[in-house]
Amino acid sequence: MSLLKPFSKLPGLNTANILLVENEEQFQQKLADTVVLQEKTVNVNVRLARSLPLPMENEESRPRIDLVVFIIHLTSELSFQSAETSLKYLDPGYFQGKVCFLVTSARNVSVPPERLVSVRKLAASLHCPLLCAEDQTTEGVTTAAHRLLAILKVAAGLVPMATGLYLSTLTRCTVPSDIDQQNFE
Amino acid sequence: MIRRIYLTSMLNDAVIDYCSLSRFQLHHGKARCSKSTSVFFSVMEERSSIVKTPLNNVLAQRRSKSYRRSMRSCVEATNLGYTSGHLTVLRIPRSRRTPKSRDITKQVDPDQVALLVRKEWELSYVTPLYQFRHTQLKSYSKHLSAFIVSEKQQGLAIEVGQELGFKVNFSVVLGLAETDEDAETVFIQILSRQAFAAKDDAQKVVWSGWLTCVNGDLEFLRSLPSEFVSLPLLCTRGPESLTVLVKSWFEKTFDCCFGPLGINSANLQWLAALWIGCHPTINIQYLKLVWTLPTLPPMDVKYTIHPQDAWELWDSVRQDDTTDVSIEEVTRFIKGLQSHFFRHFRIELSAGSLKQVSTALGSSHHSGKIKIASPTYITTILQLLTECALLKMPI
Repeated sequence: MSLLKPFSKLPGLNTANILLVENEEQFQQKLADTVVLQEKTVNVNVRLARSLPLPMENEESRPRIDLVVFIIHLTSELSFQSAETSLKYLDPGYFQGKVCFLVTSARNVSVPPERLVSVRKLAASLHCPLLCAEDQTTEGVTTAAHRLLAILKVAAGLVPMATGLYLSTLTRCTVPSDIDQQNFE
Repeated sequence: MIRRIYLTSMLNDAVIDYCSLSRFQLHHGKARCSKSTSVFFSVMEERSSIVKTPLNNVLAQRRSKSYRRSMRSCVEATNLGYTSGHLTVLRIPRSRRTPKSRDITKQVDPDQVALLVRKEWELSYVTPLYQFRHTQLKSYSKHLSAFIVSEKQQGLAIEVGQELGFKVNFSVVLGLAETDEDAETVFIQILSRQAFAAKDDAQKVVWSGWLTCVNGDLEFLRSLPSEFVSLPLLCTRGPESLTVLVKSWFEKTFDCCFGPLGINSANLQWLAALWIGCHPTINIQYLKLVWTLPTLPPMDVKYTIHPQDAWELWDSVRQDDTTDVSIEEVTRFIKGLQSHFFRHFRIELSAGSLKQVSTALGSSHHSGKIKIASPTYITTILQLLTECALLKMPI
């Protein structure tokens, strides 16, 4: 089983690498362009994938991936299922602050709320942050890129005094039943 | 004592200075501490996404201690909100009781039932109505007809009670309410004389609508103050102009809000499971599901299944538990249909969204249109729709 390992390669100087995993391959391109344009001080490399595992041919030339972002479109069930199956191909070391879930169309009326709840449960069980993004407008894409860059810089070790693990304890997703437990007991 | 804490915001690179001043005053041995906190934000770069956390914790008042402990495994908490000072949680059920076929005509007048079935209704949600009295329906009819006529003929003063071109009928449909907390269903009809009709011709129904509440969330209904009546589901049929007029009259008279109610794909799947479960008792003749796939141009897939095959699949998915249907069984049933389709056509239907479900017993569209063809399972369908309306409604 070809797991993606977080620390098997050496990091580059002043470089951060992000991997965007999305089944539909439509939002990742826009997001990649915006991320690269926004960041001026650090070299950001964006790699795109449809699902994990990544192809073996690129194994040697691929740099160390600092942050893996799973983009889930709530309008289709397939998006969520594909992200779930891809999770198996990540080394457990990634779940200490190097994985993030990005969800689109969470406000959409036709989306059943159960789907967002199940994504939240998944993110909460893996101690990962869950971001909601608006992919139809440019401001939404810019905001999402801004947030991802902030997490990426911490995950790549470019922010002094902050590590991915520390950040993930602050930004991890919680599920409504946790609040439920707190209030009703 | 001044403490300074530096926090790095995770959403942007702003540095927050947090100063807390606490003064201790000693009065004859008693220590009194008054604290004043002030928070300074010094922004290093342009702020585009910032989240402010409240400085005080929002206190939750609990109504009763034994809160659904037994049901915890079968509901999913989604919305936490305040209804008149009490914390209410509207939950999405994960399992529902199997519907029993009931002859609704024993409870409800058959003529009134005939008004509700075999017509396509458009759904909206309604917030609770202030001081709506079931006893004053006649005066409501007069006011509404005067309102409609005055809106149609702008600028002309209309007296309430005059002979008008539009006549409104408010009536109560007794028997649809399931619990004591449900308000009785109100049926509204607008009749109008046709243009160029002879003087003695009967007026025809041009618009009809009904407000109902079937098995609404008890916790929510009990938490409402006594002046409010909750009839969260509105079904309308007729010209859009009249619907808008009726809604604006209700908004002005009872201080409520209306909004469109869609049926999302999870609820459409519940309806499909409900109708297929009825197959042994009533022949549904076909099960038709319509999906829309996000291709360019968008592709519609109409998937019609023979009822006997669908019934066999449903029966194999159902475990022997005859009292409850759980969401996992419904999901497994739909996944079975989707994987069968994939095997033949190589099209993954779960990449799209379910738009419409129809059988001979009724049809439902995700934009909020429902048609109930047979009165046997009407209460189960209305219960599901009432739940949708209560969940959609802004608390």
